[in-house]
Amino acid sequence: MLRAAGNGAITFALVLIVFGSISRHFLDSSNLINIVVQSSSLAIVAVGMTCTLLTAGIDLSVGSTMFVAAAVAGKLLLDGSPASLAVVAALGVGLAFGLTNAVLVAYFSMQPFIATLATLFLGRGLALLITQTRSLNLPDGFVQFGSRRILFVPLPILAMVLAIGTIHFILSRTSLGRQIYAVGHSPSAARVAGINTRRVLASSYVICGLCAAIGGVVALSLLGTVSQTFGSQREFSAVSAAVLGGTSLFGGRGKVFPGTVIGALLIQAVENGLVLVNADPYIYPLVTAVVIFSTVLIDSLRHERFLKASRRKIRLEDVSLAS
Amino acid sequence: MQPKSDIQGAGDLQVTTFASPDSTKGESTRDQVGDSRQSAGNRISRLLFSEYLLLYLIAAYLVVMVGLIPGLLSAGNLRSVLSNLLPLLVVSIAQGFVLITAGIDLSVTAVFACSSVVGGLIMTADGGWLSHSPWSVPVGLAAMLLVGAVIGFLNGLSITLFKMPPFVVTLSTMTFFGGVAVWITRSRNIYELPRQIATIGKGSIGFVPYALLLTAMLAAIAHLVLSETVIGRWLYSVGQNSKAALISGIPVNRTIICAYVVSGVCAAVAAILLTGRLETASPIIGQRLLLDTVAAPVIGGVSLFGGRGKIRWIVFGALFVTFMDNGLNLLGLSYFVIMMAKGALVLLAALLDVRRAASTAQA
Amino acid sequence: MSHILQVEAVCKSFFNVRVLRDVSLSLERGHILGLVGENGAGKSTLMNILGGVLTPDSGSVLVEGRRLALRNPQHAAEHGIAFIHQELNLFGNLTVAENLFVPRFPRRRVLGFPVLDNKTIQQRARQLLELVGLGISTDTLVGDLSPGERQLVEIAKALNVDARILILDEPTTSLTNREAERLFSLIERLRAKDISMIYISHALADVLRLCDEICVLRDGCMVAHGPKSEFSFASMISLMTGQNLEELYPTRQSRASNEPKLEVRHLSQRGVVKDLNFRLNKGEVLGLFGLMGAGRTELARMIFGLDSHAEGDVVIDGVVAQNNTPHDRVRQRVAFVTEDRRQEGLFMEASVASNVAAVALPAYSRFGFVDQDHFAEAVTRVGRSVGLSASALLSREVRSLSGGNQQKVVLSKWFLAKPKVLILDEPTRGVDVVAKHEIYGLMNRFVSEGGALLLISSEIEELLGMCDRILVMRNGEICDHLARPEFNSERILRSAFGAGALP
Repeated sequence: MLRAAGNGAITFALVLIVFGSISRHFLDSSNLINIVVQSSSLAIVAVGMTCTLLTAGIDLSVGSTMFVAAAVAGKLLLDGSPASLAVVAALGVGLAFGLTNAVLVAYFSMQPFIATLATLFLGRGLALLITQTRSLNLPDGFVQFGSRRILFVPLPILAMVLAIGTIHFILSRTSLGRQIYAVGHSPSAARVAGINTRRVLASSYVICGLCAAIGGVVALSLLGTVSQTFGSQREFSAVSAAVLGGTSLFGGRGKVFPGTVIGALLIQAVENGLVLVNADPYIYPLVTAVVIFSTVLIDSLRHERFLKASRRKIRLEDVSLAS
Repeated sequence: MQPKSDIQGAGDLQVTTFASPDSTKGESTRDQVGDSRQSAGNRISRLLFSEYLLLYLIAAYLVVMVGLIPGLLSAGNLRSVLSNLLPLLVVSIAQGFVLITAGIDLSVTAVFACSSVVGGLIMTADGGWLSHSPWSVPVGLAAMLLVGAVIGFLNGLSITLFKMPPFVVTLSTMTFFGGVAVWITRSRNIYELPRQIATIGKGSIGFVPYALLLTAMLAAIAHLVLSETVIGRWLYSVGQNSKAALISGIPVNRTIICAYVVSGVCAAVAAILLTGRLETASPIIGQRLLLDTVAAPVIGGVSLFGGRGKIRWIVFGALFVTFMDNGLNLLGLSYFVIMMAKGALVLLAALLDVRRAASTAQA
Repeated sequence: MSHILQVEAVCKSFFNVRVLRDVSLSLERGHILGLVGENGAGKSTLMNILGGVLTPDSGSVLVEGRRLALRNPQHAAEHGIAFIHQELNLFGNLTVAENLFVPRFPRRRVLGFPVLDNKTIQQRARQLLELVGLGISTDTLVGDLSPGERQLVEIAKALNVDARILILDEPTTSLTNREAERLFSLIERLRAKDISMIYISHALADVLRLCDEICVLRDGCMVAHGPKSEFSFASMISLMTGQNLEELYPTRQSRASNEPKLEVRHLSQRGVVKDLNFRLNKGEVLGLFGLMGAGRTELARMIFGLDSHAEGDVVIDGVVAQNNTPHDRVRQRVAFVTEDRRQEGLFMEASVASNVAAVALPAYSRFGFVDQDHFAEAVTRVGRSVGLSASALLSREVRSLSGGNQQKVVLSKWFLAKPKVLILDEPTRGVDVVAKHEIYGLMNRFVSEGGALLLISSEIEELLGMCDRILVMRNGEICDHLARPEFNSERILRSAFGAGALP
């Protein structure tokens, strides 16, 4: 468990301890639930992002996907459509973005960074077109809906559990999931082994797009409004959450649960904790940056040690690789 | 002097005067087939892969647009284009240095903001640290450059010493120093900056704005460094193949750190320009430029894979992006259409890059 | 005659260099065929053809009597051929069970969705692991396994797809003695199940012990093929070296002095090299021979500062080196032509001129600015002196040059920096005969002008023809040292194989 979540878990524990001791209310159940609810949107997006990171790729367009999905859903709701239609439409948006990225990266062999950068621009433009650069404010009813609970569980958390559960299932229990890990570890070995690397890559981007769309809808239900900067910079938070959770940017390593989820919770917990201790709001980004940096630093140092240890050995007494 | 080749390649040395600019053939086994169809295809791909493609496109674009927008080429509009172009160009040059080493610098806009803010705090007449002192401007400017250098150094060090991926490192510094800028100003802009700053940003000598002079000088120096100096060659080598560079005795770590320091300093210079023009030091200055600083070099032909890129390409790319922004704006097209167009362009440029890499790749 | 596999008159060339010439062999069902030969004899190429990685230029491969054109590894696998490479193709981040099934997992449907059939996977995985004698849990991550265990997993993978023909390439290189014994008993068990194998190895004792038939490959030709009883250590070694005496080597006079330019003292790195000591004198060509995996390249990399060493010193020109980076070595006038010129020696997309410039650039600069004219002149001069034609020098892309010319570019790069010590690792690999001769001439010129040259090579003739002294490495140690009067290819091979006294 520890290994799976890696340093993120340790950092998370530290954060809980530090803030818990400074502020009386930090460890209250209501606050903890609050943290989970507030992190739901990011967690869902980050989980999708993890899939692309596992293949040693990246999807910079998730923020724009969130934006367009929320805009479309918001518009439909404002026009009186039922929530279910709005959600389906949002999924359609996610699928469209995912497929576009999939085609660019898997079939045109473009570098993921630049391909999804382009989609980011295209998407943001599209979203601004749909919203006519005006904020969409949803009727109170929907926001109420967003904070409603089913069997005491807030809806956003349900959505989060559903999305994360599905992705976790795909990654750990389906052929596609295991092949994603294989391709991320070594694309050449994957090809030699007969894996259809194109299909695997494409799938990871489609999954990411769908998650981003769902994350957008959840964020919409929490905020109740789609502003001009909706989803802006989300791609960076999503990558950070995944990396904090032990996902390697080099591919092949990382778990959605507990990993990325802990990463997202960690980011949210830090912010929440800072609010509770009445920290200067201006230092939030600084603390977040330090947390991300130090976690990745430790990860890099560990990776270096791992590389050194696996230098080819010639003279072999009966030694294990760990020495 | 020997003719320099125009076609791809990263600042190659000319060995003799026999190298013709359009020659892409060395000891290649490709035959000179006189088939007219093939040479037409060759000509088209040479056009597509030519580094002047963008200039042709800009020219074509202007020709088309001038018909739709009579004021496109007016003095006023051109001035506006120029003032938008210059800061973007400087920061794109910053990014370009890093891209050549096959890295990325997401922190350029944070450097921008931090630098602007530090300068403002030193120089402002409104309770600044050195306000009203004759030293305020030189120290302020120096401090701004120093901020860029320090952040760049931190980036470079983390990437080389700790072997962390550039994306994450510069993402962290972006978040951190962006936050620092907002923090020390409490999100407030700083006004009442000394006259000299405004002069740098807005003033001219004769018909030539100082900002343009400064940018041109910077671009010229950058070009010189990349094409004529040892460190320039090292930057390309490290980007092309860092293993081979290491074995050739090139100080890879020092070179990479250098690239990031240069990036930081250039971003600081851009901050000087923009702060001067706006006469305001702002913690959110230039924020939305970040992805443009990657888009402009890429559209211009700088490769994300590293090892390829020339200053003039970055100039063309920045020109193109700025003109497009400007023209579409004037057409009354909204911001979002412009965004989409930018996205499409980046896409095309990247596809071209992939094609170029594939066509010269080993079978 | 129940030949399960036959190879008939297969030929293969790379870049006009003939690697396999009219090679034929046959493998009987349930037999183990040992394939021996020096490095560069063509073993890998032949096996890659059988494994479907390469296609032969001419000749054919027959499996169970049927002529087959094997297009890719999957195709070969479908016909029952499994190639267990030296570099195993396993995924360290997946479990043993997952690695066994990775391209085609057994699946079942849950609510219409295809899901991994874990029960079947685990069951079958356990069966396979039992078959190969690996007593670990199926959930172990492959990354946690030792090389020996990974190899058994790879074999289990092959058995999973009902391979009838297993090709084992140097299987014992990374194994401990215990693991090797475990492998051998597995091989016996598989043989009893009528699985046929081709066993490629440098460990001649193992070959003699395990195999039913042996064949010897030399310089791309199959020079012997027969039952085990017809072979011995001595005969195998003499077949491998052969009477191949082409007058390829320019006459040379030894100019070796007694002044050491490079010295290695007690160099050690756990698991890689142990207590290495030798001297390289001015004007001398010192050869270093060893089989694949003996540690030669590792030694060179340590001398040059690319890899660290735990103990020992590198002494250059009498001064113990304090810093160990390539940058320092270049400053100390040491040059290193690596084995892998494409990845480590050249900037493939850059021009020839840029490549030649890579090392010596700072010497031709003033205040950081490159002195273009002088430099261009120097580049042309050095390029011509190594025999590059004018058109080659002008080439804008090094990747379009032939192997020989590429190697000359690498040499020019280093010569331009005027080194005192030159380390060459397999300098004539993939180089045509004419260029080879020219490179030998360059080597001689270098030492006659006072340079010191360390020549690492797998070609014994090359070493015999070019060197003043030869060191032989085995298992990370220097096990033999020959002065010119003692030069003898059989002795060298024996030391390298560790064959000891001839039976």
